[in-house]
Amino acid sequence: MEETKISMYQLYKDMLTSYLKNKSEHALYHAQQFSKEMMEKDMSPEETVSLHLSVFQELAEDLPEEVVDSFDLLLEVMIGYGLAYREHQSLRDRQRQIESELNVAARMQKSLLPNGEISLDSVDLGVISVPAGKMSGDYYDYSLDEHGNIGVAVADVIGKGVPAAMSMSMIKYAMDTLPEQRLEPGALLESLNRVVERNIDSDMFITMMYGFYHPEEHYFSYASAGHEPGFVYNLEKDSFESLEAKGLVLGVSPKVRYKPDVINLNVGDFIVLLSDGVTECRVDEEFIEREQLVQMIRKYKHLSAQEIVEQIYQDLEKAQEFQLRDDFTLLILRRKV
Amino acid sequence: MNLEINVTETDNQNVAYLSGEVDVYTASKLKETLTPLAEQSDKNLIVDLSGVDYIDSTGLGIFIGTLKTTEKTGNTLMLTGLNERVRRLFEITGLNEVIDIEVDNKREEA
Amino acid sequence: MQVQTHVDIHSEWGIVAARQAGRKLAREIGFGSVDQARITTAISELARNIYLYANKGQIQIEEVTVSGKRGIKIIAVDEGPGIKDLRRVMEDGFTTSGGLGAGLPGVKRLMDEFDIDSEMNAGTSISAIKWLR
Repeated sequence: MEETKISMYQLYKDMLTSYLKNKSEHALYHAQQFSKEMMEKDMSPEETVSLHLSVFQELAEDLPEEVVDSFDLLLEVMIGYGLAYREHQSLRDRQRQIESELNVAARMQKSLLPNGEISLDSVDLGVISVPAGKMSGDYYDYSLDEHGNIGVAVADVIGKGVPAAMSMSMIKYAMDTLPEQRLEPGALLESLNRVVERNIDSDMFITMMYGFYHPEEHYFSYASAGHEPGFVYNLEKDSFESLEAKGLVLGVSPKVRYKPDVINLNVGDFIVLLSDGVTECRVDEEFIEREQLVQMIRKYKHLSAQEIVEQIYQDLEKAQEFQLRDDFTLLILRRKV
Repeated sequence: MNLEINVTETDNQNVAYLSGEVDVYTASKLKETLTPLAEQSDKNLIVDLSGVDYIDSTGLGIFIGTLKTTEKTGNTLMLTGLNERVRRLFEITGLNEVIDIEVDNKREEA
Repeated sequence: MQVQTHVDIHSEWGIVAARQAGRKLAREIGFGSVDQARITTAISELARNIYLYANKGQIQIEEVTVSGKRGIKIIAVDEGPGIKDLRRVMEDGFTTSGGLGAGLPGVKRLMDEFDIDSEMNAGTSISAIKWLR
C-alpha cells in the first residue's frame, strides 16, 4: 500500500511536471489513463485531491496560502463523493452476487423443462420458450405416454421473474405427481387446479392449455384453463382457426370442471400453443393482433415446426428492438403421416 | 400509465370508478383500495371499468383476490363498463363465469 | 493523560462544535488532512443522526492507545427511540437513497472500527475508531 502510494506520487508528479511545462494534450491523455489505474487501486477522490495538492506544493514552492487553504474545502466536498463511490462499488458487488444466484436458479429452472428432443415418425414438434428476464413464469412440456400419445402443455403464471418462476415450478411438481398413465386433459387440469388453488397467493393465478395427440386415431384432445387461445391449421383449406376451450384459470376456485374438446388432424395440419407473451408483443407501441401472428406463421409454414417457432421469435424480437416485455413461449405440433 | 380511483359509498354498496390502465405498475394501488372495501360487511362492491382501456394479467389477479375477499365476507363483487378488449380478457380466462359482469350498452360499439 | 471531550448535540451548532473538537484532536494525534476530513465527516454524520432522530444526545471524542497503536475514538450516545432493524440501516443504499447523507455504512467506511448497540425506546450507542498509520 505504502509502495503504491509512493509510485503513484512519483507518476503524478511526472505527469504534472510535464503538463505544466508543455501544456500538451499528450499529458492530459496520460492523466486520463492514470485515472483508470487509480480506480483499479481503489484510490478515493479525496486521496486524489490530496495527492494533487502535495505534488503541487512540491513543484510550486510558495503557493499562496489561500490556494492551499481552498483545498480544505475541496477535500471536505470530495469525502462525500468518495463515500458515494465506495457505496457504488459495494452495491455493484452485491448485484454481482444476486446475479450469480439468479443464474444458478435459472439453470435449475431449465432442468424442470423437457430437454431431450422427441423425434417421431408421426409428428413434427417444435418449441421455443424465452424468459423476459433471467427466470420464466412460462412452463411447457411435451411427453410420450405408454400408449404412444404425445402430450403437450403450455402454462403461464401471471407476472414474471422470480415470483412467477416459483409458481411455475409448482406446475412441474404437480404434473410429476400425476398417475403414470396420462389423464385425459379435463381431469389433468382439474387435479392441477386443486394443487394450485391450495398453494398460490390470492392475487395470483395460472393459465394452462393441455392436450394430447393420438397418433393412430389422428385426433387432438385438449382443454384450457383460461389460457390464451391457440391456433389450428388446416392444410386442405389452407386456413387457421382459433383453438379455444372454455375453462376458468387455475387457482381461483377449488371445484372447477374442464371440458375437453377434440379435433381431427389430417396430414400436414398443425396445432399452435402459445403464452400471452407472444400476443402481448408490441410492435410500434401497438399489440400485435392475432391476425398478424397468423400471417407470420403462414409465411413460414413450409419450414419444420422447430424452424417456424424460431423464425417467429426472431422476427418478433427484432420488431420489439430486442426487448421482451413478457416471457415468450410458442409450440407447434404437426401431423406428419 | 396511471390509474385514477374514485370511490362513492352508500348504505349498502361501494362503487369504485377506475380510469386508466390496470397493470403491474398500478395493481398494488388498486389492491389497497379494493381490499378494505371488499372487507366491509353487508356492502356489495361494484367496480366501474368505464374509464379503463387495458388490464394486464397482474391487474386481473387483483380482481381475483378481491373476489375471494368478498366471498369470505359474504358480499358480492360486480364489474361494469367493460370495453371490448377487457371483456374478452374476462371471457378467455373464464372469470366471467365466477364474477358478475354487467354488460354496458354504452360501450358496445356496433 | 488521555484527552476526552464531550459535546452535547441539541442543535446544528452542536454538530459544528463536535466537528471542531474532533478535528483539533485528530490534528494533535497526527492525522493527515485527508484523514482529518474523514474523521470530521464521520462525526458530522453521527451528530446529525442524533439531531434528526433522537433530538438530543452526546458526542464523546477521545484518544486511544492499544499496544502501541494510537487512534481517535468517537462515541455517539442518545436516548432516542432506538433503531428497530440494525441490519437494514447498515445496508448500503438504505439511507442514501432518501438523500439522508452517507448514513451509518458511510461512517463505518470512513473509520477503521465500528460498533453499534441499540435498544428500542431506550437509545442508541455507536462507537468508531480510526487508527493512525
